[in-house]
Amino acid sequence: MASAGGSLPRYIVQRVLLIVPMVLILVTIVFLLLRVAPGDPVSASVGGRLSEAAQAERRAALGLDRPLYVQYFEYLGDVATLQFGETISDNRPILDIVKENGGATLTLAVAAFLIALAIGLPLGAIAGRFRDSAGDVVIRIFGVITYAAPVFYWGLLFQLLFAGTLGWLPSSGAATPVTIFEVETKTHILLIDAIIAGDSDAVVDVLEHLILPAFTLGLLLSGIFIRLVRVNMLQTLQGDYIEAARARGIGELRVLRAHAYRNALVPLVTVIGLQVALLMSGAVLTEATFNWPGLGNELIEYINQRDYAAVQGIITLFAVVVVLVSIAIDIITALIDPRVRY
Amino acid sequence: MVRRRLLALASAGVMAVSLAACGSDDGGGGDENGGGSDLGASWILGTTDSVTSLDPAGAYDLGSWTLMYNMYQTLLTIPAGENTPQGDAAESCDYDDPQTFTCTLRDGLTFANGNELTSSDVKFSIERNVNIEDPNGASGLLASVDSIDTPDDTTVTFNLNKPDTTFQFVLTTNAAAIVDEDTFPADALVDNAEAVGSGPFSMDQYKAGEQAVLTANTEYDGPKEAQSERVFVQYYQQPAQLKQAVENGEVQVAWRSLSPTDINDLKNSDSVEVVEGEGSEIRYWVWQLANQTAKEKATRQAVAQLIDREAIAENAYDGTVDPLLSIVPPGFPGQVDAFADKYGEPNVEAAEKLLADAGVQTPVNLTLGYTPSHYGPNAVDEASELQRQLEDSGLFKVSLKSAEWEQYQNLYKEGAYDLFQLGWFPDFLDADNYLSPFVVDGGFYQNNYSSQQANQLVEEEQATAEAGAREEVLGELQQLVAEDVPLIPSWVGKNVAVAGPGVNGVEETLDPAFIFRLWTVSYDG
Repeated sequence: MASAGGSLPRYIVQRVLLIVPMVLILVTIVFLLLRVAPGDPVSASVGGRLSEAAQAERRAALGLDRPLYVQYFEYLGDVATLQFGETISDNRPILDIVKENGGATLTLAVAAFLIALAIGLPLGAIAGRFRDSAGDVVIRIFGVITYAAPVFYWGLLFQLLFAGTLGWLPSSGAATPVTIFEVETKTHILLIDAIIAGDSDAVVDVLEHLILPAFTLGLLLSGIFIRLVRVNMLQTLQGDYIEAARARGIGELRVLRAHAYRNALVPLVTVIGLQVALLMSGAVLTEATFNWPGLGNELIEYINQRDYAAVQGIITLFAVVVVLVSIAIDIITALIDPRVRY
Repeated sequence: MVRRRLLALASAGVMAVSLAACGSDDGGGGDENGGGSDLGASWILGTTDSVTSLDPAGAYDLGSWTLMYNMYQTLLTIPAGENTPQGDAAESCDYDDPQTFTCTLRDGLTFANGNELTSSDVKFSIERNVNIEDPNGASGLLASVDSIDTPDDTTVTFNLNKPDTTFQFVLTTNAAAIVDEDTFPADALVDNAEAVGSGPFSMDQYKAGEQAVLTANTEYDGPKEAQSERVFVQYYQQPAQLKQAVENGEVQVAWRSLSPTDINDLKNSDSVEVVEGEGSEIRYWVWQLANQTAKEKATRQAVAQLIDREAIAENAYDGTVDPLLSIVPPGFPGQVDAFADKYGEPNVEAAEKLLADAGVQTPVNLTLGYTPSHYGPNAVDEASELQRQLEDSGLFKVSLKSAEWEQYQNLYKEGAYDLFQLGWFPDFLDADNYLSPFVVDGGFYQNNYSSQQANQLVEEEQATAEAGAREEVLGELQQLVAEDVPLIPSWVGKNVAVAGPGVNGVEETLDPAFIFRLWTVSYDG
């Protein structure tokens, strides 16, 4: 860990080097957990159909009968060379899964994050400014509920209301099958591909499908942002410089916006890094609820199939993303806040 | 044209497979321009099935096979509503003797890529599947193939390593789907994007876990003429998502696997129609004969005497399944209601007498195993209903135990349950597929049932070519199962789909073959 007075570049190098042991620990845990859990890819797919001998033959063909340490080191070798191999259950290259489904997860995560910011920042600021008012209480309750309620609960409610009862929005998927078929794949991010294609109907279709899942996941994060912004607003509003600004006759609105609110957001940047993990885990549940064709949806499918290779590959990717974002946030925090020293 | 030839062969008599070359000779799939202008509008099928591979050598699951049945031709096929194989790529097929099966291909067959389909492709396809022996594949179904001869471009002769009357049914499955030898590698699976067949549809787009897009194949020549220009297959992970999608009109047809509750709910909906056909998926209870309780034949028979299948179907499945009175479901040649014949209606006195005659002390302690994680929440209801029936008789004291599917498979083999629930879905439409996997040498589930007589009867029915004689053996085998009770049949499911307005032809494909024949369905838009 960096010490006070150290240089930022040195700190960055240290953090980057820390990725290696972090990922190593994580893939080891995932590897072991999957093996400890009952069943394997063979019993998951043909258990209840084939004899034990026939299943053993299939295990041997897949190399699952080899000693665990052999499988482990082989897997580590694959990770080290970024060759994650193929899934066991449907022979898809892991990197293809990441490429083909990662765009959907990214789309959902970014949209949800924007919605969380759009809800959380203003509500948190209002709650902080009008502390202990009725509005503050309502916003705080809203924040607690959205954070505490499972993401699939909101998802199902929204599906029933907006897709079922009202019929305003589609219930699931990333777009209608026709849109998916007709929009040429270029970036593997359907929304961008639709924009590139200049197909306004497709863009609208994709956005309509995005609203419910993004809002569902965004709500989860918004609860956290509301609480954080509110607390930081309360702290900054008690600062001497706020009093000084008011004493200089600066208008209340400007004091709030330019002095209190901006400073209240600085700690939020740090916390955002921590929320990436929550965003990813929330994305898994949201994708499953809305049949969203992202990595989370694939992960659940492969867990059910006990597909070791696929689960290890996808979780490793998630871990690397979380670690990289955390480091990026640390660096950004250091750059925007001169008080931070390494 | 229909050809039936009774071969006069010494021992076995003869098995003649009657094949109908139902298709026209002028290439039924569409017009020369490939426009398919008279075809119906595009429509969407929603399903919770998943796809392993589009290569026939790489899959042995219903999700993959559903696409393959529509993409590839097989020599033989099971027409909708029937249970005997008829010609698809083959104009005719016959047993020369119980170990030799010869097919003649239609003239002028081509793959969707324009390549010619000849007997060499058929030989290549079968041998390739056997050689690749993919762990996810169904090469095991081809175990009786010894060698394949192709004397000319349209003749294929299968030399079998044993008399096998089920082989004609194997040729209707995707284990024997015909692939293009110029496109498919001989020793590896093909990329999904390159999978090409000669069936009524060709694959335009496949996005794993998301959707498949099939377009009518204008090169197709056979009896499966497509009614729609394009069909989208959309994949769902959860039945609840699929239910909502079909209710909202996001898919035109939902097929597999809506829960009984969902189906009953949708029956009350004005926006969709629930279509039911005969099914072939069964549930049954297996005795673990290594356990002391289950070793006693009278105990097994007493439970068979007490089980009320009507009540299970009604109380646990809301009437969406039918009672199963033999391990072979109704509709299969040779099927007999063996358990009904042997035990009649549920009868406590008869069960009590069985136990008393054998000197079994009552109440008998019994452990029932089930696994909702694999067979759904209704498995709990079924186990509870069976528990109630047995305990109400006063003859049994039942404890229920459940486990997650993966653990369950080990537990039932280890004898954790005296009686445990399993399900079965046939590989092909022959009664043998409901018997030989279950009764030969303790079955695949290793329940320690061993019967020389059962083994002999299986061998005999597999080698008997004459239909009447074979059905007699199959009946005898089912009666033996009812007598020995290594398992107790419970119910047979229906083949259910939910269709939105403007969809036609769904009912036609809902039969025990569980092939969703996309080519039979049309949509008015």
